[in-house]
Amino acid sequence: MFDAIMTGFNWFMSAGATVMLPVIITIIGLIFGLKLTTAFKSGLTLGIGFAGINLILDFMKTNVGTAAKAMVDNIGVDLDVLDVGWGSIAAITWASPIIAILIFAILATNVIMLILKATNTLDVDIWNYHHMAIVGIMVHYVTGNVLLGVAASVVMAATTFKIADWSQPMVEDFFGIPGVSLPTISATSTLLIAWPLNWLLDRIPGVNKINFTLKDAQKYLGFFGDQMIMGLVLGLVIGGLAGYDLASVLKLGVSMSAVLVLIPKMTAMFMEGLIPISEAAQKWSQEKFKDRKLFIGLDAAVVVGNQDVITTALIIIPLTIALAVILPGNRVLPFADLAIVPFRVALAVALTRGNLFKNLIIGLVTTASLLYCGSLTAPFLTSIAENVGIDMAIAGGAILISSFAATSLIHSFLVFMAFTGKLMFTMPIMVVVIAATWYYFEKIKPNKKQLIEAEVIETHSIENY
Amino acid sequence: MKRVLVACGNGIATSTVVASKIRDYAKGKGVEITTTQCKLMEVAGKADYFDLVVTTGQFSGNSTTPVVRALSLLTGIGQEATLESIVDHLR
Repeated sequence: MFDAIMTGFNWFMSAGATVMLPVIITIIGLIFGLKLTTAFKSGLTLGIGFAGINLILDFMKTNVGTAAKAMVDNIGVDLDVLDVGWGSIAAITWASPIIAILIFAILATNVIMLILKATNTLDVDIWNYHHMAIVGIMVHYVTGNVLLGVAASVVMAATTFKIADWSQPMVEDFFGIPGVSLPTISATSTLLIAWPLNWLLDRIPGVNKINFTLKDAQKYLGFFGDQMIMGLVLGLVIGGLAGYDLASVLKLGVSMSAVLVLIPKMTAMFMEGLIPISEAAQKWSQEKFKDRKLFIGLDAAVVVGNQDVITTALIIIPLTIALAVILPGNRVLPFADLAIVPFRVALAVALTRGNLFKNLIIGLVTTASLLYCGSLTAPFLTSIAENVGIDMAIAGGAILISSFAATSLIHSFLVFMAFTGKLMFTMPIMVVVIAATWYYFEKIKPNKKQLIEAEVIETHSIENY
Repeated sequence: MKRVLVACGNGIATSTVVASKIRDYAKGKGVEITTTQCKLMEVAGKADYFDLVVTTGQFSGNSTTPVVRALSLLTGIGQEATLESIVDHLR
């Protein structure tokens, strides 16, 4: 009996993600109480999105991948890990055979924490669960242990909900959106660097006074925010460095522009397919917790339109490419995810309240961490992509893939390392770090704030006399 | 046929959700529309070609086209009122 199930399961797996994805999403949809036709259409939409991403990746492999390899050979820079973008990584995540278990584990974590009053963030933005799920998928891939994979995703989820809680006042205050928190790891992960670094910068005499503004940054750097032009420019430069002839350089420019414009269109299919499931989850959970005032967890996309965020991002984008070349040991060639730099800096901007000097320092340190973590975990990500039928082996595996999402994010990277290291040592360390951070934000910080507020009131009353 | 420009941070995530809700609602009210998605950064350059701009985030630029903020379509709180006002703009 067991053998029969395994044979069936293996047959199903070997059919590949384009077949598996519609079936798995249909099942998830049915569990959320969707009608069969709605659930199936959701699943099919995701399957189409996956097929689309696969097409683009194949196109990217033959054009960009080959050019990157030629550039590496020609000028000897060691940038042999191609940044294929968060959308591609999300597609790989949703196509994983254990995705259904992870989604429900993450949702259950949220519901249980809400019931225990351990969080106030109601996160039913199912789409963004992929950031938490990919860590579990990678842990499962490395250790071969499903339970460890699930545990890793649960830890990612729990810590993310807490960070969303803790950063909520800042989000409400700076961006002016009340009742909303942002459990989007691609944005919150930066806070792991920004919180301590901002604290440090505030305590260096002289440095803590620096601030400047750039009025025309958007006017002159605006093209870095335009995917079309940026893809074209990058393509021309890489083609030139690869030693291509003029016609090939121009062709590469247009191809890279095409990749940057088309990936988001394919990724949008995933979003579209998941809407009914997210809505069902939202309805159910808001009904369930209707007596409590909760923060609705939203995608950080709602804050990256802020002017300070855009200015910071436009300056960081060209510096990201410079860092990739300069930093010793970096292997990532930034490409598709240059488009989402605003997400990586958004919460740093809120934390510093738009101090451009501090934003740039924090932004650069964050970028360095993205490049290094991305370099270190690229081999695992490449193998996982191959497992779901995205064969990125370029020039006999000389080029790997990565992004500025998944375990390139410091938060995800640390949890991934904790679950794939020597558990005897890493687990206690992880628990202590999380507990200490929790204690600081829930016990020490609120007291401090009260003290400061009390002082302010005191001085005010003295002044009044 | 009225044209609606839906903008969010990256032109993918939340704008897809909002665009799909607006399309469904307008269809239910018998108003024919098409939606186009873009990044907030691109609104200034594109707004003139549309009858209405709907954003999920802050939009601080100038635009002669009316702009509706639609955060409520993501949180679900006050969703009906926002959809109502969007369709009113398009009648």
